[in-house]
Amino acid sequence: MTFAVTILAQDAAPAAGWFMPGKGILAITLVIVAAAVMLSILWARAGRPIRIRKIAGLDAVDEAVGRATEMGRPVLFIPGIQDMDNIQTVAGITILGKVAKTAAEYDAEIEVPTTRSLVMTTAREAVHASYLSAGRTDSYNPDRIYYVSDEQFAFVAYTGGLMQRKRPAACFYFGCFFAESLILAENGNSIGAIQVAGTAETTQLPFFVASCDYTLIGEEFFAASAYLSGEPDQLGTLLGQDLVKGLAWAAVLVAALLATVAAVTGHEGLASFVNGARAALGGG
Amino acid sequence: MTAPHAASATTPHAKTPPAPERIQVIVATDCGSTTTKAILIELVDGHYRQTQRGEAPTTVEAPFADVTLGVTNSVTELQELSGRRLIADDGTVIRRTSLSDPNGCDVYISTSSAGGGLQMMVAGVVRQMTAESAKRAALGAGAIVMDTIAANDHRKPHEQIQRIRELRPDMVLLSGGTDGGDQKKVVELAELIAPAKPRPRFGGEYQLPVIFAGNKDAAPAVERVFGAGFDLSIVPNLRPTLEQENLGPARDRIHDVFLEHVMAHAPGYDKLISWADAPIMPTPGAVGDILQTIAKKRGINALGVDIGGATTDVFSVFDGVFNRTVSANLGMSYSISNVCAEATMPRIMRWVHLSMDERELRNRVKNKMIRPTTIPQTLEALVFEQAVAREALRLSFEQHKAFATTLKGVQQQRTVGDAFSQQAGGGTLVNAMKLDLLVASGGVLSHAPRMEQTALMLIDSFEPEGFTELAKDSIFMMPHLGVLASVHPDAAMEVFEKDCLIYLGTCVAPRGQGKAGKPCFAWELRGAKAARGTMACGEMQLVPLAHDEQCEMTVTPEKGFDMGAGPGKPVTRTVRGGTVGLVLDARGRAIEVPDAEAERRATIQKWLTALHVYE
Repeated sequence: MTFAVTILAQDAAPAAGWFMPGKGILAITLVIVAAAVMLSILWARAGRPIRIRKIAGLDAVDEAVGRATEMGRPVLFIPGIQDMDNIQTVAGITILGKVAKTAAEYDAEIEVPTTRSLVMTTAREAVHASYLSAGRTDSYNPDRIYYVSDEQFAFVAYTGGLMQRKRPAACFYFGCFFAESLILAENGNSIGAIQVAGTAETTQLPFFVASCDYTLIGEEFFAASAYLSGEPDQLGTLLGQDLVKGLAWAAVLVAALLATVAAVTGHEGLASFVNGARAALGGG
Repeated sequence: MTAPHAASATTPHAKTPPAPERIQVIVATDCGSTTTKAILIELVDGHYRQTQRGEAPTTVEAPFADVTLGVTNSVTELQELSGRRLIADDGTVIRRTSLSDPNGCDVYISTSSAGGGLQMMVAGVVRQMTAESAKRAALGAGAIVMDTIAANDHRKPHEQIQRIRELRPDMVLLSGGTDGGDQKKVVELAELIAPAKPRPRFGGEYQLPVIFAGNKDAAPAVERVFGAGFDLSIVPNLRPTLEQENLGPARDRIHDVFLEHVMAHAPGYDKLISWADAPIMPTPGAVGDILQTIAKKRGINALGVDIGGATTDVFSVFDGVFNRTVSANLGMSYSISNVCAEATMPRIMRWVHLSMDERELRNRVKNKMIRPTTIPQTLEALVFEQAVAREALRLSFEQHKAFATTLKGVQQQRTVGDAFSQQAGGGTLVNAMKLDLLVASGGVLSHAPRMEQTALMLIDSFEPEGFTELAKDSIFMMPHLGVLASVHPDAAMEVFEKDCLIYLGTCVAPRGQGKAGKPCFAWELRGAKAARGTMACGEMQLVPLAHDEQCEMTVTPEKGFDMGAGPGKPVTRTVRGGTVGLVLDARGRAIEVPDAEAERRATIQKWLTALHVYE
């Protein structure tokens, strides 16, 4: 069997190029974003005050762990049901560090069931580090951070049973949750626990808000590590991101106005500018 | 070890007070650290009135070492002033045999803060929960809390033991764990305290009283830990659940232990206890009781402050919940340096309208500290002292607001509507808008040369909002009336209203901020006095209204200002006059003073002139 290969004599020859002229606006956006973040970090490093709105859910960690201590019951922490490749799980583990440190200081027992082995390993490291920084390594018990099942409802069934048996006085749900959110939170509510939740899953937020004492909503959840650490770099990054979001809002407003004016007046130059900007930003 | 007491053991006073209808002549004393103050209350034309007052040095220290000598001396002064024989030949207070007897009294009662008052150490499992409840119980009973030990107080066990050994408390209050909750940590706390063996202030043979008000299941283990050498009492848990705080039994037991142990070991107190017709109360506890009584009877929220040389006490009753704080390092003589350090000199100087040399002021502060009884001799000294007092009061009030909170660790009930307005638990109970009565006592407030000075100090420090009556305790009679309230509440109330309080007037101040000169609120008075006017932001005005006058007042705030009914909504109230009158305050909340020196001084001068403060 033979294959015929046709070589076109006038084939286009590739040429090296640094920039794609049609995407210049993206380069400008990138520079603005980077500049905003870097300048904000420099601003924070210079000791300028950066105010973060109070996040009641994070301030309530002490209260919830204190309740568990006084009642002689454990603290339950669930870092979602996804693996470490999910950014919400990463954010949840960051908050686990804070909760574990408080539990270590109060000498309260903390229990962390997980749905992924890698999450279990990471959670053990985080909790161990927290006990170490609290000077209570002797109280650290890795057996209380364990893998249950990859299966969503097998995990939920186990955790529900655990709640009824051990009756934790404080339940924390930080990570990526789906249908199990309300089952977990209602279980926690029925045993009289203080519950704090945080997720970026918009479909689950109403359930958490209704059944938990405190809920971190979307961006608050991701801002938690900056809020908890108070480090200038993290605070600066947060400020920079907020500035860029502000600019994006302003750009959307201006573009909407221009598009409306172009549509109403039929101004061709304005319409072509709006279309060009939309194309450059990857719009349809 | 003595057998653990049940809650509220027998009260160790010898007599039972007569029925209220049998009480017409009352002698009350307050044995302070320096002086013993006696008052005589009599039924005059069907009304209880304070008729005479006597004062004598307290004699609890050597060479007298008998507190009753000072009591006898002060009551003898009452006897001389009233012409009624009150002291028998053996020095005791005479009781009347019948209601027609012209000599003696029907009831003798007393409070005491001599020898440093009641000093306690408290302990609990979590600092913000059971330990805080224990502190509230101790402070409410009139104690000074020397330290709070908790499992999460960031001290190592050996540091906690060291601290317990250093303290010499009169008693220890141990709490921790809800009923059926934690036992391990509360027993661990007992295991810290027992081997540390804190030494009591009085006597080697004295067994340190320990009151256990924690998890009832832990009581047997706590009892075993303390063993011999402690006088352990077990009372119901301060926090049976985290949603509930039950301070009453612990406070009652503190009072009993104060009498049985602390007072019984202080010189002469065994005699004084046998003289009195009601248990002797710690002075601050009695002040708290009368404030609670008046708040309950009038259905109001009240706040009292007593600024002394070393400490400042703040008492509050909001929505029926009583709180007391002692700011141990905020006072006008021994602690004046600390006030200056904590408040900082620029914040003190912002209240001063005169030109003063800072170096000279610093010398003045140190002189006041080493010579605490000196009083200002010049206008400059008076202005500066009152500026320091404003900051001491402000700082004490800040501490009080941080302490007087709702319970922490309580489950919240939410709806989806709370998504963007979630508030953490433990919010302050103190609400300046809801405050109805503000009572001042303590030298710098009670003895200010002009009543207007007292009124302005109170307003600048506490920043009351809406309508707030201002008053001062005329001769520091509140302790006497607090203990009287336990035997004859109506008599205590009547004397409190008629003789104890000097009403300064009412402060009318909307909440909000505005640019100086812009309209703030309009007001109208009807009734005993008819008048109307408008106030611009940054202004103050004094409307004379006598002590016995009351008016209907309608205040219509501008948009952005709130008198309690919501921004811009008018409010009508009955307002009471006083020795100062109605103070209309449009400075906004929080009160802000201009930064520029010349402008600041001019602004302060304007406020002082409006209220005739130094004229």
